[in-house]
Amino acid sequence: MRMTNSTTNNTSNTHLLEIEQVKKKIRMNNFYKGMLFLLPSIMLFSVFLFYPLFRTIYLSFFLTKASGDTTIFVGLENYVNMFASPLFLKSMKSTFLFVFYTVPTTILISLFLAVIANEKLKGIGFFRTIFSSTMGVSVAAASVLWLYLFNPTVGLFNQILDIFGFEAIGWLTDPKWALLSVSATTIWMNIGFTFLILLSGLQSIDSSLYESADIEGAGYFYKLRRITIPMLSPTLFFVITVTIINAFQSFGQIDILTQGGPVNETNLLVYSIYREAFVNYRFGSASAQAIVLFVLILFMTYLQFKLGERKVHYQ
Amino acid sequence: MRKLFTFLTLGIVVLLSACSSEDNSTQGQEGDKPTSTENTQMQEVTFWHSMGGAAQESLNKIVGDFNKSQDKIHVNALYQGTYDESLTKFNAVAGSDSAPTVIQTFEIGTKAMINSGQILPIQELIDADGYDMSGLEENITKYYSLDGKFYSMPFNSSTPVMYYNKDAFKAAGLNPDAPPKTFEEVAEASKAIVESNPKMKGFALQAYGWLWEQLLANQGALLLNNDNGRKETPTEIGWSEEEGKSILNWVKNMVDDGTFANYGTNYDNMMAGFLAGDVSMFLQSSASSGDIIDNAPFEVGIAYLPYPANKVRQGVVIGGASLWMIADKPEAEQKAAWEFMKYLQTPKVQAEWHVETGYFAINPSAYQEQIVKDAWAKKPQLQVTVDQLQDTKASYATQGALMDMLPEGRKIIETALETIYNGGDVNQAHRSAIEQFNAAIKQANAARGE
Repeated sequence: MRMTNSTTNNTSNTHLLEIEQVKKKIRMNNFYKGMLFLLPSIMLFSVFLFYPLFRTIYLSFFLTKASGDTTIFVGLENYVNMFASPLFLKSMKSTFLFVFYTVPTTILISLFLAVIANEKLKGIGFFRTIFSSTMGVSVAAASVLWLYLFNPTVGLFNQILDIFGFEAIGWLTDPKWALLSVSATTIWMNIGFTFLILLSGLQSIDSSLYESADIEGAGYFYKLRRITIPMLSPTLFFVITVTIINAFQSFGQIDILTQGGPVNETNLLVYSIYREAFVNYRFGSASAQAIVLFVLILFMTYLQFKLGERKVHYQ
Repeated sequence: MRKLFTFLTLGIVVLLSACSSEDNSTQGQEGDKPTSTENTQMQEVTFWHSMGGAAQESLNKIVGDFNKSQDKIHVNALYQGTYDESLTKFNAVAGSDSAPTVIQTFEIGTKAMINSGQILPIQELIDADGYDMSGLEENITKYYSLDGKFYSMPFNSSTPVMYYNKDAFKAAGLNPDAPPKTFEEVAEASKAIVESNPKMKGFALQAYGWLWEQLLANQGALLLNNDNGRKETPTEIGWSEEEGKSILNWVKNMVDDGTFANYGTNYDNMMAGFLAGDVSMFLQSSASSGDIIDNAPFEVGIAYLPYPANKVRQGVVIGGASLWMIADKPEAEQKAAWEFMKYLQTPKVQAEWHVETGYFAINPSAYQEQIVKDAWAKKPQLQVTVDQLQDTKASYATQGALMDMLPEGRKIIETALETIYNGGDVNQAHRSAIEQFNAAIKQANAARGE
């Protein structure tokens, strides 16, 4: 009895073992296959993302020569100096203000435009084209256009003010106005893209939902609140995430409109990194700032996924 | 599994062939080069410059003339953006084959270039060739020589001058031929201008660190200690509280009077404002003089840089850029580039360059050329810029500062100036500028590992 028992046990054990082995083999096979498919992107990411990222972290612990060669290891000193520097703290403040000015305004205006352009009317295609047209304008072209509008001598804005008898405003030279002016430019530039994404989101909402609501006798704003916004929430979530990241990374309009001035009022983080690295040739502290920006954006995105995604309604 | 392996091997084969074909092509290129030079005996020289707009056209013409003038050397002039952008690109390729033979760099990059170890001091070429540099403008060679040694070849040089609107001066009852000389006189003239025409402001000062350096030098103040970094590496700023604040207070008073036009850091807007009659006086590089005189619908006057009334005028520091020879290039290539540098110094080329751009002639004998005489007869203002340079008193202050953190220093000063333009407090702005300036000097010294 005992013997047979043990043999059956043994055989079942070996069976189990074999099954385990086969399973393991399949798993390994799957893993290799998966890696093979990922290989191209892993290679590209390593070269263009992971290596530069680690190199940036490495550089942030050093002082550098103008050529970018490291000279002295200073540990966390770059980070300590950075958070003690009034210049950096100001640029953090300006960056958050800039995000606060641009993101909600861009989304609200685009949402409004998308909702009115979603009506089925004759000639609506024309307006859809106009509303999304800023997508085709490059940052440089848009900034130069606005630079002319803001021009103190021949700019349109000051001429309009002049007609109504107001004092001329130094749009880009007055610290009170500069960040708002740059924000206005950015909002205008971002509306095209945001509008297009939101409109496509609106178009994909099932019309039967509106039909049943009509039968129930629901009003326009009730439908907007109860159907449109919830059904649009995945798109809105995407748009908000992308716009926030974009706002944190703004550079082109700053470089062309204000060069970080007046009194460093528009010296946003990315511009401050650029200046530190390519005007002051301090790659160490520029790298430290870049790491802080990276962590900041990572954290903001994480926060959004944690808080925002709960409210998102996926169909 | 077999499929997978075939796929893998295929992939590897493709990759390998891609690599090897690349090798072939580069080999092919390298193989081509010697044959082409053998055929034509042409020595290529790559020249990176930062001359945009009208100066670029003029420079291209000079380079074209040089290439046509002989058949041994071909200079390839490439515009690389502003001095800052060009330096950044240079740092990225320095030491590799893509580095140029000659690069044009602004005056405040002088120390950084010397420290970089990527350049060949032209003194070696001067000595080898027995070339005589004493024919060049003394105020210019003074800036670019350090301990009697030339590191780079001066090329385009300019100094700041005060441009003013002669018609507006007449309308305000001021003498258009006796422009204000001191800070106080500028402030008075500004008041008169605004009184006669409330739509026009008196004076504009671009928030530009270079002008700050010049306004300091004009009152005999040093920018950095250790004699402007000429004796030893500077350890802190060189100007006194009184000297620095004299500039800020001057501006502050005009801001309070409502006679100051604030164009921030933007040069183009300031020039547009001047041409449109929004402002009657401003400070700017003499290199813009040709452009401004041609475009103004009124008569433009050019005057010396102002100074505080309780000081004696010392003169200006040379601004602009010089040409650097890059180390680790074949000797034949460097020799060819040296020939090009010498060509640029000839009176004929310098005369053309001065007349077309408003930059100085490095070689004063250019002023004897007929085209310069003709141009001065037509635009007598051009001569003022040359006179101001030649009236400059030799001192460490007017020799100019040497340090590698000067671009950063300029940004710090620009912030202080803008603070004043917008009604900020002079004491506070001055103190925080000095603190940041000194911190930047300290950090630059630390980064060099000294």
